[in-house]
Parts: sequence; C-alpha cells; structure tokens
Amino acid sequence: MNGAVAAGALSIRHAGKVYDPEGLNVVALDGVSFDIRSAEFCVVVGPSGCGKTTLLNSIAGFDQLTFGEIYLDGAVLARPNKPPLPGADRIVVFQQGALFPWKTVLWNVSCGPIQQGKANRAAAERQARNLLSRVGLKGIENQYPGSLSGGTKRRVEIVRALMNEPKILLLDEPFRALDALTKSVVQEFLLELYDEIPKTIFFITHDIEEAIFLGDRVVVMTTRPGRVLRTIDVGIDRPRDYRVLTSERFLKLEREVRESIHDEARKAFEAGERELA
Amino acid sequence: MTAVEANISRSMPTRVWRRIARYLTLELFLGIVSIGTIAVLWEFANPLGIPVLSNLPPLSEIVRTSQQLLTSDLYWDGWLLSIRRITSGFLLAQLIGVPIGLLMALHRASFEAAFPIVEILRPIPPVAWIPISILFWPTRELSVIFIVFLGAFWIVLLNTIGGASNVDPNYRRAALSLGSTPRDMFWRIILPATIPSIVTGMAVGMGIAWEMVVAAEMVAGRTGLGYLLWQSLEINAIAQCIICMISIGIAGFLSSEIIRLFGSFVAPWQRMH
Repeated sequence: MNGAVAAGALSIRHAGKVYDPEGLNVVALDGVSFDIRSAEFCVVVGPSGCGKTTLLNSIAGFDQLTFGEIYLDGAVLARPNKPPLPGADRIVVFQQGALFPWKTVLWNVSCGPIQQGKANRAAAERQARNLLSRVGLKGIENQYPGSLSGGTKRRVEIVRALMNEPKILLLDEPFRALDALTKSVVQEFLLELYDEIPKTIFFITHDIEEAIFLGDRVVVMTTRPGRVLRTIDVGIDRPRDYRVLTSERFLKLEREVRESIHDEARKAFEAGERELA
Repeated sequence: MTAVEANISRSMPTRVWRRIARYLTLELFLGIVSIGTIAVLWEFANPLGIPVLSNLPPLSEIVRTSQQLLTSDLYWDGWLLSIRRITSGFLLAQLIGVPIGLLMALHRASFEAAFPIVEILRPIPPVAWIPISILFWPTRELSVIFIVFLGAFWIVLLNTIGGASNVDPNYRRAALSLGSTPRDMFWRIILPATIPSIVTGMAVGMGIAWEMVVAAEMVAGRTGLGYLLWQSLEINAIAQCIICMISIGIAGFLSSEIIRLFGSFVAPWQRMH
C-alpha cells in the first residue's frame, strides 16, 4: 500500500457465514459485498438476525467466515481458513459496554497503548487525560465506570477506542440501551469527534433515524440469510446537528430506508413466529 | 463564590455530620432498647410467667456466676484457640480453593476430571468427616482445622468456578483487541472479574467455618469455645453455656465484619453498590 493513502479502507468480498448448531445450517450471511472508503462513516441497518453482528465480529477478529474475504487496506483480514485474530487496528464498542468495571476511567482509557507497548504508563496517562479533557470528560479520571451514567460510559468507551488510533472503529448498536435524550447527546458527541478525528467507522444499528443522522452511507441488509438489499448515500453536509433531523432531505431518506426495511422486518418477524410455532 | 454558595459549602459538612449523628443515635437507641427489653424480660421471666425463658436462671444470677469464667484463662484461651483454628482452616481453604477453582474454570480437562469428585464429596456434611479426620490426622488440633477447612472449602471452590467461568465474553474480546497477552488476560481481566464472587464465597464460608469449629471442638477438641460449651453441659453450668453461646455469636459477627472490610479493600469498585 502507498503510505500516502489514508488508512482504513475496508473491502468486504462475498462474505458468508453458516452456523451449524445441531446440523441446522443456519445461513447468517450470504454473499455480502461492499466497500468502506477511508474515513467514511458507514452505517449498517437491518432487522434482528440479519447477520450485522456476525459481519462485525468477522471484521473484529472474533469470528471466522465460512465464505469470502474481508480486506483492510489491501491486506486479508478474514477468510475461511484464517483463524480469527483481534487487533488494536480494529476496536469494537459493544452494545452492552465493555469498560472494565474494576479499573478507573484513566486506567481503562490508557490501557491499550500500554499493553501494546506503544507508550509507557506516564505517557499513556498524559495522552488519556488530554483526550478526555478535549472531549469534555475532564474530572472523571479516577472514578470507576460503575459510578458513571450510561451516556458517559459510552463516551469513555469511544475515547478508549480512539486512544489506540485504530484504522477502523466498529460500533455494535452502542447507544441502544440509552434513553432518547441521552442518546441524542451521545450521537452529537460522536459526530463532533468524527469531524475532529476522521476515522473509518462501521456502525450497526436498527434505528433508521440514527443511521441517517450519523452516516455518510447507509447499507440496508435483508433478513436471514443476510444480504445487502441496497446502499443509500446520505449526502447531508457536515458538521451536522439535531436540526438536520427535520430537514426535507433527511425526511425523504428516512422514508426511503423505512420502506425498504419494512418488508424485511415483517419477513424476520414472521420467520420468528414460525420458529416459535 | 457567591455568598449563598459560601454559606452552603460551610454548612455542608455540619449538615452531613448531623445526619450521620442522628442516624447513629437512632440506631444505637433502638439497639439498646431491643437488647434492654430482652434483658428485662429474662430477668423477670419467672415472676412474669414467661414460658421457656422462666426455665433459665435470671440474668443477674448468670452475670454473677459468670464472673469466674470471664476472668479465667480457660475462657480467653478458648477464644484464642478457636480463632486460631478458624484462621488456619479458613485461610487454607482460600489458598487451595481459589487456585483449584480458577484452574477448573479456565481449563476444560481439569474441570471434567475434577468435577465428578467434587460432586460426590461435596454433599457429605463436614461433620461426617470428623471420625475419619480423627483417625487420619496425627493430632486433634489438625483434625479440627481440617473440619473447618472443609466447611469453607466447597463454597469458595464453587464460587470461584462460577465467577471465573461467567466473565462477560465482551471483556475478554475488548482485552484481546486492546492487546492483552494471555498473562494480562488472567491477571487483569479474569481474576478481578472473579474477585466479587470469591468474596461472597468467603462470607458464606466464614459462617460455615464457625459452625464447623464448634461442632469439631465439641467432638474432638480439648479446648476452644465449642469445647467449653459442651463441657458446661457436663458440669451443669448454665452460665458458662450461655456465655459461650453469646461469645460464639460475637466472634461470628466480628468475622463477617472482617470479611466485609476485606471485600471493600480488594474490590473497591463495588463499594458504591
């Protein structure tokens, strides 16, 4: 790769995943292909069980593909016979949150560079303090995550991810458990951060409004077996704030996404009913 | 700082202290009232005709006749020896139970090999081990410590296995992404995530350890609070019997407090819960 090319270009090629619990051969992903440009904010939406998280886990190195390949900056990240390997170039922010509750905020945020041997403790902590105060989280360094609100925990976890200077940030429905008001605050936090430190972002959600508000591009997936139904270019200028939510372009896109996802959601629901019956 | 803010910041500690003081006063007051009521009922149980309690000698008589016991070396040695047995047996249970529990939780083959043995031995009540431990161990002291050990061992073992095998997989994944080596994974993720379960096991284990030390001293001991308690029956000394019972109650209570303190020291992040 040419060093001058900004890093973090992801390429997903015919990715497929078959789970085989008791010989049932559940196809979670079926030939998914799309590219994410360097520093692009890509949001994947789809009904429950469409394989979004499977795809994210394959990128993160938690799970192995059954078919296809995933490339990061031209290098193979995942393919069927390659044992999955997580790395600091792809950090995940989890749905339920995974800040270590037994360590302080400062330790949590600074542990990545220390463990990877990229910085000593003093340097990493200085960097962590800087980053925390830059994003308005000064003063909580010595608290335990358990004493923070849900929204603050999410922000700290995003800061912890950024400390590793990942090529791509993987967010798995990170704001799902938050109440509506907190959610909008944390969404704006992420947008500001993205404008300031552009990163390739792979963001999973099934909140359509969130998808369009945050993303450059929305990839709509079908219900199981997961395929790409369509991709939609958002094309709303940045920086964005909550006023975007009522703009004409936003509402038009929202209707478009909702229409294409609705049939899939119904199919997923009916399939679920069948499984239960 | 405005005048109002200054006023608040000055009165804040005072207010907090006053609340704590009021709370403590109330707590203390109620505690004294409830203990006092029982003492009065006990003292006058006979004239009042209260069943059961009236079979006991009045409290004042117990206090009078217990003077001799409370100033004897026998009694205080009893405390010391029981505490020593508890400490040895309990610590041994942690030192052996926690590592075995961690190994069983993290190493599949160890678990499969050890689990059937654990499941067969665990339901045997520790008191049922008293005869064989008297036969097996060279001294009575070791037999008693062994019984205490067994009382605390199973619960700490099970809690350690449970805690270490239920660590949220996302903590492991996050740690792997952040560059943890297997060594970091154990010391910085698995172990701290297991500590709260271990402390819970210790709290329950300590309770069982006191039950066991009393039972073992009754059967196999020649000293200790449990032995004194049993002896009081043989010499028909009801004051000694009651004093020993209350002493064991106090010792158990103090032990639980120590475990609680230890817990808040090794798991400070759980303090606010």
